[in-house]
Amino acid sequence: MLAKRIQPMASQAKRLYVELMFQVMGRALQAVSEVDGEVQKEAQVLPEGFLFEMMVMPEGAKLIVEHIGGGRFHYHGDSAPRAVNVSIQFKHLTHAFMVLSFQEKTSIAFAHDRMLVDGDVSYAVRMTRVLNRLESFILPKIIAKRAVKEYPDNLHLPEKLISAAQIYLKVATHFIQTARA
Amino acid sequence: MSNSYYEFFCPVKVIAGKAALEHIPYELSGLAAKRPMIVTDKGVRAAGLLDPIIAACEESGLEIVSIYDDVPPDSSTTVVRDIAAVYRKEKCDSIIAIGGGSAIDTGKAVNILVSEGGDEIAKYSGAGVLKRPLKPFLVVPTTAGTGSEVTSIAVITDEKKGVKLPFTSSYLLPNAAVIDPRMTLTLPPHITAATAMDAMTHAVESFTCMAKNPLSDAYAAAAIKKVSHSLLQVMDNPKDSDARLELAQASTMAGIAFSNSMVGLVHSLGHATGAICHLPHGLCMSLYLPYVLEYNLETIRGPLGELLLHLEGPEIYSATPASRRAEASISALRKLRDALYKRCQLPRTLKETGKVTEEQLDQIAEMALDDGSIMFNPKEVTLKDARAVLQRAWA
Ligand SMILES: [Fe+2]
Repeated sequence: MLAKRIQPMASQAKRLYVELMFQVMGRALQAVSEVDGEVQKEAQVLPEGFLFEMMVMPEGAKLIVEHIGGGRFHYHGDSAPRAVNVSIQFKHLTHAFMVLSFQEKTSIAFAHDRMLVDGDVSYAVRMTRVLNRLESFILPKIIAKRAVKEYPDNLHLPEKLISAAQIYLKVATHFIQTARA
Repeated sequence: MSNSYYEFFCPVKVIAGKAALEHIPYELSGLAAKRPMIVTDKGVRAAGLLDPIIAACEESGLEIVSIYDDVPPDSSTTVVRDIAAVYRKEKCDSIIAIGGGSAIDTGKAVNILVSEGGDEIAKYSGAGVLKRPLKPFLVVPTTAGTGSEVTSIAVITDEKKGVKLPFTSSYLLPNAAVIDPRMTLTLPPHITAATAMDAMTHAVESFTCMAKNPLSDAYAAAAIKKVSHSLLQVMDNPKDSDARLELAQASTMAGIAFSNSMVGLVHSLGHATGAICHLPHGLCMSLYLPYVLEYNLETIRGPLGELLLHLEGPEIYSATPASRRAEASISALRKLRDALYKRCQLPRTLKETGKVTEEQLDQIAEMALDDGSIMFNPKEVTLKDARAVLQRAWA
């Protein structure tokens, strides 16, 4: 309670940013899975109807996507039609914010125990690769390098996604500035 | 590599050294346990390893109520259910797991069922399902390698579904791990070598992978020093109980290190190879270790170079220029593998195992990429990378 009074704006901004980022990522995940062969190859192994969730503990923002077959993802917003198969759970809003604002790489965040994986680990590993691919796709190279362990050398941006990248960048930089202030 | 944040947890009491087994009755009474059940396998019983434990308990007036000695090398949900049924029938109140990885994992899983109730162990699979402490549980390892006595994970095969169920919870950790040199004294040479190299790999990967931290580093470095110093001594003189104890402690220390900082690509490849070609885990570790370190080299040059001190000792460390230490560490490990090959033919390449075909490499690479430990490898691994490492490990 005390913390809320001291830093209302910072926390509010983080919350908004994480929610927005989840929405951007959810939509981008669906879009990328429609055009990128690499993502499709990874996703094809997942069972049809497979539900993947990223969430902030305890009851914070959520991102849910479903593998609808053929390596395609469908974005469900923040509510799942049934129990999810794999859930990646950030222990705190701050940790989600650090990862989603590219101050901490996803792989480092795992190494730092910032999040828990619930469900089949091999699917979680696969989804992490998909997310890495996604991040390097929709982010400008300079930011993507901070987000993933290694920047893939076989990345060719389809026209469709270049605009997404620009929107993403605007959102990201804006929020990093306001949230840090 | 940043280590700006870490977590370290190991609440297991370690009871190690000469006459450690004789502490079991006291430890159990401290946990208010009066009716312990032993969970073990036929090999352990046949080797006579239960005798000193049973004698130690009897001398203290503590009766071992039940002994289940039929744990298979790959434990299953059925076995766990059967053991839980015996435990309940005999009104046991605690578990002593005696053996290698499988017996220990089985003990952990049985403890879930007898503490939480029910017959369906699958229900408790996953992370963080358990919310409270389980029954009193002691572990006596009989191999010096897996480190399972200090890890909060158990893996049990669900035969019906044909999948491996992971269980992770800090409540799976035993109340105490009892390390007595008598337990590993009769371990045959090739198992001694392979399991010690598993411990070595736990320590090296823990020290060089992404979740390394100052506390796990301390355990890992000390474990590496002990294995380097004592493994060949034990190979040349299997009855050397001091050196045996050193290996057993190293295994526990490496277990503490990797359960807090995880392992990397050596384990990803090893798990895949174990599943596809049915090779023992320790053998796979020994086999892949130098090739993976070479693959990771530029990312781990600093920490790998530091390990030279523990692998080769201060003279060689100080005589090696800092820029060459990482390579020298890999050479030291290769030298150790050569020495083990000479003594017990522990394979150094996939070809030397005689159980892997070149056609299987693609399958191994693909499966390795799905292994959880690959997330903690310091360098990103693509299918092509994994395939290249396997090719180098081929011959
Ligand atoms: Fe291992």
